[in-house]
Amino acid sequence: MTDLGQRAPEPDLEANAEAVESQEIAKAQSLWQIRWALLRRSFRNNWKLFRRNRIGIAGLVIIGFFATLAIAPSIFFATGFWSTSVYDPVTGLEPNPPSQQLEIVQTVTDPNTQIDIRQVLVDGRINGNIGDVIDVTLQPAPPYGKHWLGTDPLGRDILSQLMYGAKAAFGLGILAATVTVLIGTVVGSVAAFYGGKIDAFLMRLADLLIMVPGLAILIVISAVVRFQLWHLAVVIGILSGFGGVAIVLKSQALAVKVKPFVDAARVAGGSNARLIVAHIIPNVMPLSFLYMMFTVTSAIQSEATLSFIGLLNVDMSWGLMIQLANNQGYLLQGGRYWWMVFPAGLAVTFIAMAFFLVGRAMDEVVNPRLRKR
Amino acid sequence: MGKYMARRLFQSVLLFLVFITITWFLLYALPGDIVTQKFRTNPNIPPEAAETAIRRLGLDRPILEQFWTYVTGFFRGDFGVSFNQYPRPVTEIIAERLPRTIVLFLTAIVTYYWAGFIAGKYLAWRRGKRGEMAITVGGVGLLTVFYPWFALMAIWLLSAQLGLLPISKFLDPTEWRNAPFSANEVFMRLFWTVAITSALLFSVQYAANKIRDAAPARAIRLGGTVLVIVGFVFYWWGAGGVEIRPFAGDIAEHLVLPVLVLTLVNFAGIMLLTRSSMLETMREDFILTARAKGLPEKAVRDRHAARTALLPVTTSLVLAVATVIDGGIITEFVFSWPGMGEILISSVTSEDIPLAVTAFSFIGVMALVGHFVVDMLYGVLDPRIRVSSSQ
Amino acid sequence: MSRPLLEVDHLVMNYTTEKGDVSAIQDVSFTLNEGESLGLVGESGCGKTSIAMSLLRLVAENARFDSGEIRLDGTDLLSLTDEEMRQRRWNDISMVFQGAMNAWNPVYKVGDQIREAMDLHFHPRLSNAEVEARISKLFELVGLNPAMMNRYPHEFSGGMRQRAIIAMALSCDPKIIIADEPTTALDVIVQDQILQELKKIQADLGMSIIYISHDIAVIAEVTDKIGVMYAGKLVELGSTREVFARPRHPYAFLLLSSTPSVTGPRRKLAPLEGEPPDLLNPPTGCRFHPRCPYATDQCATDEPPMEDAGDGHQVACWNWKEVPELGGLTK
Ligand SMILES: Nc1ncnc2c1ncn2[C@@H]1O[C@H](COP(=O)(O)OP(=O)(O)OP(=O)(O)O)[C@@H](O)[C@H]1O
Ligand code: SF4
Ligand SMILES: [Mg+2]
Repeated sequence: MTDLGQRAPEPDLEANAEAVESQEIAKAQSLWQIRWALLRRSFRNNWKLFRRNRIGIAGLVIIGFFATLAIAPSIFFATGFWSTSVYDPVTGLEPNPPSQQLEIVQTVTDPNTQIDIRQVLVDGRINGNIGDVIDVTLQPAPPYGKHWLGTDPLGRDILSQLMYGAKAAFGLGILAATVTVLIGTVVGSVAAFYGGKIDAFLMRLADLLIMVPGLAILIVISAVVRFQLWHLAVVIGILSGFGGVAIVLKSQALAVKVKPFVDAARVAGGSNARLIVAHIIPNVMPLSFLYMMFTVTSAIQSEATLSFIGLLNVDMSWGLMIQLANNQGYLLQGGRYWWMVFPAGLAVTFIAMAFFLVGRAMDEVVNPRLRKR
Repeated sequence: MGKYMARRLFQSVLLFLVFITITWFLLYALPGDIVTQKFRTNPNIPPEAAETAIRRLGLDRPILEQFWTYVTGFFRGDFGVSFNQYPRPVTEIIAERLPRTIVLFLTAIVTYYWAGFIAGKYLAWRRGKRGEMAITVGGVGLLTVFYPWFALMAIWLLSAQLGLLPISKFLDPTEWRNAPFSANEVFMRLFWTVAITSALLFSVQYAANKIRDAAPARAIRLGGTVLVIVGFVFYWWGAGGVEIRPFAGDIAEHLVLPVLVLTLVNFAGIMLLTRSSMLETMREDFILTARAKGLPEKAVRDRHAARTALLPVTTSLVLAVATVIDGGIITEFVFSWPGMGEILISSVTSEDIPLAVTAFSFIGVMALVGHFVVDMLYGVLDPRIRVSSSQ
Repeated sequence: MSRPLLEVDHLVMNYTTEKGDVSAIQDVSFTLNEGESLGLVGESGCGKTSIAMSLLRLVAENARFDSGEIRLDGTDLLSLTDEEMRQRRWNDISMVFQGAMNAWNPVYKVGDQIREAMDLHFHPRLSNAEVEARISKLFELVGLNPAMMNRYPHEFSGGMRQRAIIAMALSCDPKIIIADEPTTALDVIVQDQILQELKKIQADLGMSIIYISHDIAVIAEVTDKIGVMYAGKLVELGSTREVFARPRHPYAFLLLSSTPSVTGPRRKLAPLEGEPPDLLNPPTGCRFHPRCPYATDQCATDEPPMEDAGDGHQVACWNWKEVPELGGLTK
């Protein structure tokens, strides 16, 4: 009887990888060197796949742009290009705001009292009678040479605030993502590895956390604790780490757990904790990075939202900039005060989008089913 | 199925108990002596009245007893008394606000789920063609847009600039000055007619889909739809609706903008998800079988790919329900829509504990019910689950 | 019995990929007569499924037909419009898929999925009762309980699913059924049962069948003719008896010589040295030359044409006369 044998149609990646693996293992001196070599290789391979994804690269470019923004003020202040008294995002003040000459030509009816007032409201300030030509200080000032993105109603530089906001967003996002992934990886691995009651408990907890809308929890917690930025980061990290991320990483860990090398390590006498650290966690890593990206997105948005509602205790952030513009009624005038309305709103949107796009692109790398054939 | 449902129900109740416990203790552990601040030192309440109130509300009892009273009360529909609106019972406030939130959410979910599914279906089918990347990026943009800002921009553009829609609130108070109906009466009437109409429309579709021949199926679909719409029009424009209609119209008009904004922001998520789900389904062998049978592409897409791709999308609806509530909080805040989310924010910021706990619990209940419904729906959609759960 | 039904004529098909063209079908010609059964064998990746899919014109999006014709009853399928081709699928040619385990849509009842095909191809459409009667008959034919038609695919075992697929393939009275590895995932006993049933059905109903397998022995008993494929090319074609008794092509010879008897014990053999070629860069000349013990210089440069070796036994090899007889091998 003849059997031509079922051979895989293409020399598949994994077999290839295993060949390289064995070579490297042969050359390596210690276990850690092997791990390091493996890590580098998997990073290289993944980067190759990632590079082909234009959307992901676009995301990286946007992130790079905001990172530059975040670093810039330190350089500007250090080199003396910006003086703190004028450009500080919180306490700065433009001493000589630009002004404009206006002639008052029209009367306005006070919307509340329905009385004609013989004076005119110019940007909220009563300035004179009809026919007067007056000097109006522009505060908020539109962009001009000294303030590239104009100033806010308190005479503070918008660009500086935007840059400071970028720094805050990165700090918050990265801290939250790190906490998420740490917790998610450990919880997921432990649940997968120990199974039974521990698993059931952790997964029910995850269900609970997924079920409750995150923003509602944050609102309630913010009533109890006056949130600092890093508090928020940690809380978001914990919520998503114990929640959805743990579930996903658990299923990944389950898939790793049944791989032969884990059994081999167990037979060789590895303790459970050791197995988790040495084998499960490194294999769950790529997926964790993916979830880091999505956590950054949601952390930045949560911060902005809480600031917007006024529940956050921060001195400056994008959310706060939007809150200020909204509370003082500039937001609903849209185009007229665009420099107060668009930079912060777009910044939150774009950075969240960038991290999300990178996450999606990584998803296609980590998750071959989504890849284009 | 019954047993499975019972088990899920039991789990949900258990989960809810944990949830309510945590919430209650978290909020009652608020820093500062709220009771003193709200009653004893409140200049609006005379000292004796304050003491009476504290005693009547059981606020002088031990904390565990207070908790027990609240939880047992909760299941009887007694949620205590609001601090800030004393002596108004929380139940009354919730009863007024809940329908407004539910209507907003339900309308938005149905709209965006449907729109997102259709859009995702086409997007997947066009994989690799021009415009795919633009649509994907646009979708992600909508998904990650800073929501409060986006909503305000929508208000600015559509209401302030173009004057197409009312700016905020859920009705126009000047029109309601001498209204013969209470807002909630109109609201519920609106809700029920819309619910019944949609249910009827859905049944027509369902019945038409069951019919194999194209011609009678089309006739039933068309006839049924027209009939239902005629009925709807007849109801509102007939004798019964004449008086109430302007008021209902006012509410409906206020509903448009928030629903539109919610839909825009959420539909992209469903769209992208449907797309990846469809892409995965389209690689399945049974799609090849369907094509080999000679089915037209449209039938392969709708009857095989989309129908099966619906499963994971439905699961995701669970999470979507939760996010739409999140979005709902902001929506209500931004649009001054007096619903549960607005209560949550205002009661938390003004430390009206009983109201805050209840509002939060209801948001939890809504999420749980959403979870539960979707679970059941999933069982209906996927015969594999239907069987294994009945065993 | 001998009227040619399907003629594949110098068919060339490539898959376009980022790395270049994959030459999956290279100048393949064969004829299938009415009521005949043809087996296509070859190792994994040699292009068997590609041929099957080409017959239904259901090839992957990146596939490209470069030349050749597929004539069914004289009409070139490759020149039909999409709509015309659609009408012919299942009606003229139906298919039992490789890995038919997943060929059922999990959310519809098996009976409904069969009915779907019948609704498309019976004009006028059959009534509900007629459809049910027909499915019942088909189910009995393939050895299934007719009541099963109201069940979902996941309630079927692997073998039952495969039988149901065969029932579905028969449902529109096709002229040709293509069975791509119809039994690979099943255990040996069920495999035999199903093949024997197919053979019986073919005898009863008189359609033509193309069997595709990587294992000659599995289909030897049910085919009239066998085509041996190697790396996208048909290298040998002849009656099953001839090919087994006197394999002419070195590749076929090596496959068959290592086993003493068709009915003997089954064993896994590795008679061939080397790897199957990469179809992205197929070897020049005869595609088998890097592995062929009979190769000469000519083999590396010139492509051998199909030659008649007597009795309608065709072979594509420069040196087929050098290949010894397989002594004592009979079917
Ligand atoms: N869509 C595609 N794009 C590129 N190459 C493809 C594609 N489909 C198949 N191939 C390649 O074409 C060759 C023939 O594939 P085919 O599926 O026809 O082989 P097969 O003989 O059916 O193999 P098996 O026994 O494994 O089913 C293989 O080398 C395969 O890698
Ligand atoms: S043509 Fe040459 S290389 Fe090819 S099979 Fe014949 S002898 Fe071998
Ligand atoms: Mg194949």
